[in-house]
Amino acid sequence: MNRSLTLPRLTFWRAALLLLLAAGLYSTFVRFFHGLGAATNLSDRFPWGLWVGFDILCGVALAAGGFTISAIVYIFHLERFRPIVRPAILTAFLGYMLVIFALMFDLGLPYRVWHPLVMWNPHSVMFEVGWCVTLYSTVLALEFSPIVFERFKMEKVLKVLHIFMLPLVVLGVLLSTLHQSSLGSFYLIIPSKLYPLWYTPWLPVFFFLTALTLGCAMTIVESFLSARAFKKEIEMPLLTDIGKVTLVLLCVNFVAKTQDLWSRKVLPLAFERTYEGRLFLAEMLIGLVAPAVLLAIPAVRKSRRGLFASAILVVLGIVMNRLNVSITGMERSSGVSYAPSLTEVSVTLMIVGIGFALFTLAAKYLPVFEHATKEAEPEPAWPEPAWQEPKRARRPLVSVLGIAGGLAALLFVSAMGLTAQGVRSKPLPATPEATAVQAQKTMALASFRMPSDVAFPQSPDSPAPVVFSHAAHVDSGAPDCISCHRDGFSFVRTASARTAAAPGALHKLCGQCHDGTSAFSVEADCEKCHAEAAAK
Amino acid sequence: MISATQKKGILLDTTRCIGCGACSLACKERNRLPRTSQDVLSDTLSDKTFSVVNRKGPRYVRRMCMHCDVPSCASACPVGAFQKTAAGPVVYDRDKCMGCRYCMLACPFNVPKYEWGKTLPRVRKCDMCADRVAQGLATACASVCPTGATKFGTREELLAEARARIAADPKKYYNYIYGAQEVGGTSVLVISDVRPEELGFRTDLVHEPPAMLTWRVLSKIPNVVAVGSVLLGGIYWVTRRSEEVARAEKSGREGPEDGSGGGGSH
Repeated sequence: MNRSLTLPRLTFWRAALLLLLAAGLYSTFVRFFHGLGAATNLSDRFPWGLWVGFDILCGVALAAGGFTISAIVYIFHLERFRPIVRPAILTAFLGYMLVIFALMFDLGLPYRVWHPLVMWNPHSVMFEVGWCVTLYSTVLALEFSPIVFERFKMEKVLKVLHIFMLPLVVLGVLLSTLHQSSLGSFYLIIPSKLYPLWYTPWLPVFFFLTALTLGCAMTIVESFLSARAFKKEIEMPLLTDIGKVTLVLLCVNFVAKTQDLWSRKVLPLAFERTYEGRLFLAEMLIGLVAPAVLLAIPAVRKSRRGLFASAILVVLGIVMNRLNVSITGMERSSGVSYAPSLTEVSVTLMIVGIGFALFTLAAKYLPVFEHATKEAEPEPAWPEPAWQEPKRARRPLVSVLGIAGGLAALLFVSAMGLTAQGVRSKPLPATPEATAVQAQKTMALASFRMPSDVAFPQSPDSPAPVVFSHAAHVDSGAPDCISCHRDGFSFVRTASARTAAAPGALHKLCGQCHDGTSAFSVEADCEKCHAEAAAK
Repeated sequence: MISATQKKGILLDTTRCIGCGACSLACKERNRLPRTSQDVLSDTLSDKTFSVVNRKGPRYVRRMCMHCDVPSCASACPVGAFQKTAAGPVVYDRDKCMGCRYCMLACPFNVPKYEWGKTLPRVRKCDMCADRVAQGLATACASVCPTGATKFGTREELLAEARARIAADPKKYYNYIYGAQEVGGTSVLVISDVRPEELGFRTDLVHEPPAMLTWRVLSKIPNVVAVGSVLLGGIYWVTRRSEEVARAEKSGREGPEDGSGGGGSH
């Protein structure tokens, strides 16, 4: 009841979180004070990296549980799933907030993030995603708000919100359908760049299907994590049912994907011993086949460990899929290999850490788990002793597992990058054959047109105007333009400017060659330039 | 308003190029860009170089923005910072750009470049000297080319000229105009004595604007929203009905569990 002023106890995992935050803050400084070039391994050839691939694409997909479960409960009226709606919505809300936060790092000019809301381009997928994410985040905030209002016992507001809940949920499902699929549509515009194992006209459909699957899997994962962290009972029959739904979705994914590869005649690419082929197979086996097989066995589906493991595999598989689309599949055509920089990795880790910390805090202070909070004390102090388990401090387990998961994903990315470095070779200019060069040059010279003469402005003490003749200086058979025009044509301008300002300046310029040894001297034969030019 | 037939373009003829680099230098001057290398021929496109001439075996090939008729960058940009102007150039409005770099990803020719080294970066690329073109002048690169390897004119004229040059010397030219069909047509056209692949141009590009690939999906949104909301509403109604029926059948014995949920139903 009474807040103590002592600092929260520093557990190992809290220390780890603090470390992540510190590293992340330093990276944030680098990103914003030294620019994207200094902070990331991005380049003109590889403009989208880990921040888009993981923080945005995976982030949005990982938050898909919100719309999946709220559709199941509010629209399909499967009331028994109600206890998991709130954690799902909380995860989704935090997920979207973090995606927007991560976007601030990736955008070159983050303070203009609002531009798409004002400057419209309805032809842009990014425009559509921007609007959907903005609207859906608002919807999620409203869906999430009853939890806050309940906490502060604001009954009237709750009643009003209650009325709008159905339209809100419908809107949320529609918006999610649109932007979950549109994240795949991003890549539709580059059939020549994305590797054919991943490029398909069905990208938006696949992104939507995998988001649904991931929504279910994340619900399972997050129920397990919070059950362990908050000492609640796991609703096993409920989660087993979600496991069944996941299985069905996995099968649909598998069939759709295989069928698509078959009909585009690129299925053999998956079995080629290439970088892409291997990672594609890994994605399919780890994320689709393995969990589908596991979930098909009733004993596994009904066991805690089995269900949790299958769900983790699904999550991993879809994270791999998003990274394969955004990174693996893009490397070959870009001609470079990409592995995220430490700065990129530490920002991503910081965001994942913040996510888990926020979830833990919200779950603790807000009535997210309905049974658990029925009799909850109104104001628990932060290091609340009742939650402490005598032997193992389990409270930060959520963050621990989150960090572990994030690390695993990042290791995967780095491994991808390292593998790539071996496989990829940067395009080198072919060694030109001298004879062919000559042949081509001769051919090109047929159309060489000698530039016209250039009249220089005359300075007051000049005996006669000077006209420079290209014809007299340039061998039309081998016009080595660059030997004089090293600086382009500013040469002419500065020369003429100098003549007007400082008489005799041209003598210096022309005198570089006209020194009496290479060619006649500018000091000796005045009329050769000043008179002859006039005569010509 | 300039009609479609008056759209400007640039014809590049590698058989005429002697690799003098005047085009690149003129481009640098016009755009006030710093020198990026000692040797013009070893330059690459960057935020400080919008046009290059590179050696490809025995010939020289220019790289610059192709100024697509239906540009992917303009379609991809969420804020409409890229526009295909009526006169032909594809131009960029730095005041709109928020730096998402989708244009760079979307461009089939990898043309837009980013100021990675700046804290407030822009996208940079050739704008076909839009201001000069608006005044009726040729682009800087075309105006300095000593051999006519870079020629400025209306796209129609240039297409006709390209065809004429190929027809006049079919032994010399490879019979293909790069940019006539690629990604739905580009304002920059390339002819050569060899296949475009040998010059480093991609020939596997679709012959329709890639922007259509995303637009075909985006244009379905109203359908998804309309059908989706009716469908979801319908499911809501049907499942609620069946729940009520079930409850009525069980009447008398009420289900004790009522989660005092924060959401709305019945």
